[in-house]
Amino acid sequence: MTSQRQNTPAEASKNEYFLRGEGITKVYSDGTVALKEATLEIHPSEIIGLLGENGAGKTTLTKILSGLLPPTSGRVVSPKGLVHFSSPRAALEFGIGMVHQHFALVGTLTAAENVALSHKNPFSRIQLSKATERLEALMEESGLHVPLDVPVEKLAVGEQQRVEVLKVLSRDVDLLILDEPTSVLTPLEVDELFALFKRLRNDGKSIILITHKLKEVQSITDRIIVLRHGEPVGDVPTETATTEQLARLMVGQAFEQEATAVDLSDKELPLKRERKAVDRIATSVLHVEDLVSKSNTGDIAVHGLTFDVFGGEIFGIAGVEGNGQTELVESLTGLRVPTSGVATINGTNIIGLDPRQIYRLGVAHIPEDRWELGLILPFTLAENAILGVHQWDEFKGPMSFLRWGKINQHVRDLMERFDIQATGPGAPAKSLSGGNQQKLIVGRELAKNPDIIVAAQPTRGLDIGSAQYIRDLLVEMRNAGRAILLVSADLDEILALADRIAIMYEAEFMTICSPDDLNREQIGLLMGGVKPEEQAE
Amino acid sequence: MREEKLERNSPRYLRGIHRTLTGFHPAIESVLAAIIGLLIGAVVMWLWGYDPIAAYSTMLKGAFADKWGLADSGAIAAPLILTALTFSICLRAGMFNIGAEGQLIMAGLAVVSVGFFSLPPGLHHVVALLFAMVAGAIWSIGPALLKLTRGVHEVVSTIMFNWIAHFLAIYLIGTILMNPRSADQTIPVPSTAIFSKLVKGTDLTYAVFVAIGFSLIIYFILWHTTIGYEVRAAGLNPSAARYGGIKNKRTILLSFILGGVSAGLAAAMILLGSSSTHAMYRLHGQLTNVGFDGMAVAMVGRNHPIGILFSALFFGGLNAGGRLMQLGSSPVPVQMVRLVMGVIVFTMSIPELARIFPAIRRYSVKLVRDLRQLGSSAGRRQSR
Amino acid sequence: MILTLIGFTLRAMVPITLTAVGEIIGETAGLFNIGLEGILLVSAFAGAFGATIVGPIGGLAIGMGVGALVGLLFAIVSTYWKGTQMVAGIGINLLAIGFVEFGMIRFSSNAGAFSIPSEFQLTRLNTPFGLLSPVIFIALALPFVIYWFLRRTRAGLILKAVGESPEAADVAGINVNRVRLVASTVGGMLAGLGGAYMSVAWFGFVTKGMSAGRGFIALATVVFSGLNPILALVGGALFGFFRSLGLWVDTIPGFPIPAEFLQMLPYIVTLLVVSGVIGRVRFPKALGQPYKRE
Repeated sequence: MTSQRQNTPAEASKNEYFLRGEGITKVYSDGTVALKEATLEIHPSEIIGLLGENGAGKTTLTKILSGLLPPTSGRVVSPKGLVHFSSPRAALEFGIGMVHQHFALVGTLTAAENVALSHKNPFSRIQLSKATERLEALMEESGLHVPLDVPVEKLAVGEQQRVEVLKVLSRDVDLLILDEPTSVLTPLEVDELFALFKRLRNDGKSIILITHKLKEVQSITDRIIVLRHGEPVGDVPTETATTEQLARLMVGQAFEQEATAVDLSDKELPLKRERKAVDRIATSVLHVEDLVSKSNTGDIAVHGLTFDVFGGEIFGIAGVEGNGQTELVESLTGLRVPTSGVATINGTNIIGLDPRQIYRLGVAHIPEDRWELGLILPFTLAENAILGVHQWDEFKGPMSFLRWGKINQHVRDLMERFDIQATGPGAPAKSLSGGNQQKLIVGRELAKNPDIIVAAQPTRGLDIGSAQYIRDLLVEMRNAGRAILLVSADLDEILALADRIAIMYEAEFMTICSPDDLNREQIGLLMGGVKPEEQAE
Repeated sequence: MREEKLERNSPRYLRGIHRTLTGFHPAIESVLAAIIGLLIGAVVMWLWGYDPIAAYSTMLKGAFADKWGLADSGAIAAPLILTALTFSICLRAGMFNIGAEGQLIMAGLAVVSVGFFSLPPGLHHVVALLFAMVAGAIWSIGPALLKLTRGVHEVVSTIMFNWIAHFLAIYLIGTILMNPRSADQTIPVPSTAIFSKLVKGTDLTYAVFVAIGFSLIIYFILWHTTIGYEVRAAGLNPSAARYGGIKNKRTILLSFILGGVSAGLAAAMILLGSSSTHAMYRLHGQLTNVGFDGMAVAMVGRNHPIGILFSALFFGGLNAGGRLMQLGSSPVPVQMVRLVMGVIVFTMSIPELARIFPAIRRYSVKLVRDLRQLGSSAGRRQSR
Repeated sequence: MILTLIGFTLRAMVPITLTAVGEIIGETAGLFNIGLEGILLVSAFAGAFGATIVGPIGGLAIGMGVGALVGLLFAIVSTYWKGTQMVAGIGINLLAIGFVEFGMIRFSSNAGAFSIPSEFQLTRLNTPFGLLSPVIFIALALPFVIYWFLRRTRAGLILKAVGESPEAADVAGINVNRVRLVASTVGGMLAGLGGAYMSVAWFGFVTKGMSAGRGFIALATVVFSGLNPILALVGGALFGFFRSLGLWVDTIPGFPIPAEFLQMLPYIVTLLVVSGVIGRVRFPKALGQPYKRE
């Protein structure tokens, strides 16, 4: 292996590239196109920033490069020839190591043990002392320090990540891929990590840094590749890239007021003009004040948010996923208890209530994960159609007997009204396509006649037709005077549908305003964490 | 989605066949497993010098050919239906309740204790059944509460409870409940509480209607009430159930209670019905294995009350016919039946049996590859 | 008296400890085998008949082989075929009962029991504790060996990783299914030794009800031990002790506590342990789940 490595920058000029991906396409089994003919080149001794919104394909691309996923088509080549990774280990042996966003660590083992795990010989007796020695040397070299004898699940998240990095480094990789590494680090830790990157680069190694944080990517990388909707749309040297340029590449050309601009040819969005001018109802349906919520790991996910949603408007929360939107929605729909703050629906407090009580107050919830939360897949359409409303008098007879006759009729109505393609109310939900499943959920929720609809990523993973349908529905509801809280990582969608938008970044709202107040670049910057004051004029 | 394509592109009759097949899909898997079980049983019989064809034909005749065979099959089936329901109801709620053995024993103790007082028939029957149900439920709540409050895995706790019941019963049968005239047994259930025979000369009593009736009740509860709906939902997807406002703790508790009730009734089936002495022996032999056999019945019956009815009849038939098989022209011990049952259950643990054959080939190729690698690396170690 | 009691305990401890240690290996890797009872029974049977053909050591070996085979089969179904471990285990139990009962009738003159002629039984050593079989010493030593193995070797680490976080193990390049295969086979082999010991080296005969719930006791011991083999030894000894105590007490007239309650004690203690009253037991996160790569 050693003979194949370029150890000094001088030798780097001998080989043009370390790895090249050609025409990599990935289509998942449910039809989602994650990558479309992506081609990129990785040179030794450089730090590449991989930028893009959610669903742009960054994680998929790197997973393919690191052997975790096979591409649907396309190939990966190195100077030695075609490269095929059948497993993560094969990739590791080639010299590619990946540090995932969700750590691949075994919680009950210590850091030293986790590192020892990834070494080559499965049946050799580990001399833990030797492994520890080696690790300590590595820690000195890299500047990353971690307690070596504590089970990793007891370490702080930042420390866990360091273990992950050490794990990969200990395998002597040539290409190091990190997926959103700084999302769990303090600024000081970020500095240390970046210093390490520089050292590695100078040693001849390559690093791919996946991130959505614009400032960061500009501070450390040599080159930035931007992905959008599965395709690379930009490959610029960091020195010459401006934040505005990056933001534009990330989120698309400036939005033309006329519909069907070139970039949006795969989407049909309702024209703003089509919406009737609706008077916003004076009193808010949803009132949130200083809401604070913690995530499952104990971090603050919602940090003192205050906002109102009125009837007759669509309030859109934009932002890259993972900035607290999920926890916010859960806090408002009874699936998570906030630690402090106020939240009311039509004046009634909802903190501490369970979902059914909240639904009774006039709330509909279209959940972001339709398989985990929205549907019970083995159940039939009919059984799913009453989820959450099965106790209603319409469907429940005396002695808790279910009125299947009525329920089936209701489902048939839903199928007709929302154009749900299925063989009948008795079809299992898992036999439906994603679009039809979502339409079922939406239909079910709207049938509650709600005052407010909380829609989280409602068109994620849907085909164009279904996505359009659901967007039209939301507009229709708005026109009818309902309040809609729309959370979406799809910026086009938010901009087209929302009357007011908030941009969420790291548990806070960067701003709340009308979409007309900002141009796309500004929004992109806000989504990347660049505060308004910092934006260049 | 593949099915949708099929639906739209195939001619009408094919669509019908496809729909039937997928509808009966689970039943086909059970039949397939049964066939495999019987086949392997035949192989073992043949290897050990018996005539499988003669044996199976005697068994079949004994089980289903005439009224008495059917009746005996039904008599064996009755308690199996109920212990199968115990396992099945809890499985629907996402829980592995293998405590039917213990619940059965405690209920048996409760049933024989009605011998301590006298009541008119009819009332005595009802009281006996009630005692059985309550005892079974009580013994089932223990593991349920441990699960809900302490997160104790129900498999471990139900096994523990089984064994505690086992020893407790031995003690009680030897002391309080002992029959003064026959130290090896409990006091017998009085005739006022015993169910009379449905078919003379067999073990089948009117008690079987209790089993069938309860089975139908469970069916209605699970599929036609909101409570049953919640149990099934929580068992399939607790997160979505929570989203739908269902309290998962409640469903778990309810399923264990119903399961215990069912096991209790199973004890009643035996002691008030098919048993010859209507008393429990010191080592409660008549109740042994009914719980575990019930699990086999439940699995083959695909966890559905209706399926369980058929499955129980099938296993009852195997056992009843098996008894006759022992006496037939080529006597095969009835224990062979349990062997067959075991293979059937084991085969049923492989999901998607009917679709398995291409998948088996694929995975087996991988398996052989890994085994070969294993062998070579072991070989390497040897040579070091 | 104490000496006899200790002797009882040592003899009774063996099948439970061996089986429990074997299951610890399996559960550490993420496989939950409820079919231990069946393995014990079927290997007692196979060992007994095997001993009459190839002698006592051969009988033990055959028992181990049978156990390993069942363990392997269980693992194949649970990993490569993504089967439900619980159901497969229950199937094994049923199968074993039927097979053994059937086999007893077929091969033994007496349907209930088969006695192994003494020349085919494993020799026992005469000690102050009574007659002890050499297998007992294996059962005493093995937990320590396995403890060391799990804690201090890389293979032990791999086992833990596979059971705790198969995704991480996969990423680290470990073949999760293959590891589980090996773990289950070894576990089955140990249970097989425990079973064969019962017939060939302890009782000298095999009956159709021989396992007498020991497989489940072993499962309980595994829980009690928190996946620590040395504690499994303690647990096995505890169960053996109480069983012996119960038998012994039965012979004493007028003893205040009924024998049955003493025999209940191990199960109650296990319940207490598992409920967290005595100590929190921590199982591998991926226990019972087949592993699918995303």
